[in-house]
Amino acid sequence: MKSLIIEGTEDSPSVKFDVNSGQFVIGGKSRPENTVKFFTPIIDWITGFYAKKSTRIADNPPVVFVFKFEYFNSISAKYILDIMFSLKDFISEGNKIGIEWHYAKLDDDMLETGKEFSNMVNLKFDFIQH
Amino acid sequence: MGSISTAFEAHQIMSEKNTLIAFTGHFDHLLTTLLLLNIKNKLSALESTSGIDRKVYSILVESIENVTKHSSKGDDTQNIAILLLSKSHDKYTIVTGNHIMNDEIPALKEKLEKVLKHNQAELKQLYREQILSKRTDDNNAGLGIIDIAIKSGNLMQYEFKPLTESTSFYLLQTEININKPVLSEVEA
Repeated sequence: MKSLIIEGTEDSPSVKFDVNSGQFVIGGKSRPENTVKFFTPIIDWITGFYAKKSTRIADNPPVVFVFKFEYFNSISAKYILDIMFSLKDFISEGNKIGIEWHYAKLDDDMLETGKEFSNMVNLKFDFIQH
Repeated sequence: MGSISTAFEAHQIMSEKNTLIAFTGHFDHLLTTLLLLNIKNKLSALESTSGIDRKVYSILVESIENVTKHSSKGDDTQNIAILLLSKSHDKYTIVTGNHIMNDEIPALKEKLEKVLKHNQAELKQLYREQILSKRTDDNNAGLGIIDIAIKSGNLMQYEFKPLTESTSFYLLQTEININKPVLSEVEA
């Protein structure tokens, strides 16, 4: 499966899901004009990535999902949470997936949101300050 | 009516109130993006050490999106909204205003009152319920207001000023304290 690369813009996130390194990074700013249209292909890609993988889940490569947002609006928050819920499903099937939540120093709100998300999906995140 | 004296008057009032941004017109997506880019640069220059610029910015975005959501239908001339951002020594104040149909007021008022009476912990619970519920326009609108309340420490006020028999002007004000930012209740 090919890596998923989407250039970031002033209102939409950048996506770099690199299948060779196993680093799946999404971040930047998120208040796209059409939130469904932006996030649906990303969620579909992730679903496809795990659907096409080895039937022996233990053979799937370990992946780290890196959430590195500068800002996202409340509608995007729903979709980011959707991505996390789908990751939770793949983890419970036995896949090795790590989640990193990056936030800027002094950005308490971004850290808080990360903690809330971690609680809501009931998954451990690694919190990384910049 | 546009004239030299009204423009000067508006300028003086805004200077007195330490207005950083005053915009009136129709908020479409592209214009909002450009406006936000300008505001973001201004804020990060002002608040390079406090970190409060990101809080102000994200509350601003939700406030503008709240305007876009609740603007009454109709042609653009009836959709003239307003955005004011001002800064005093201890706080930022964001005010948005937009036309709204009177029949939409009761539901919106109920939503706002529900949010305003909650403390921080209850707001977070409300946020959870909303974000985990089904994706509808109604819920999304609710989430924005809750988000503003959480990030500002619930320093919001609203008012509906009657305009015509069927429409009103909906004003929402949010204050963000500079010296006492809303600190997280849960430690890292």
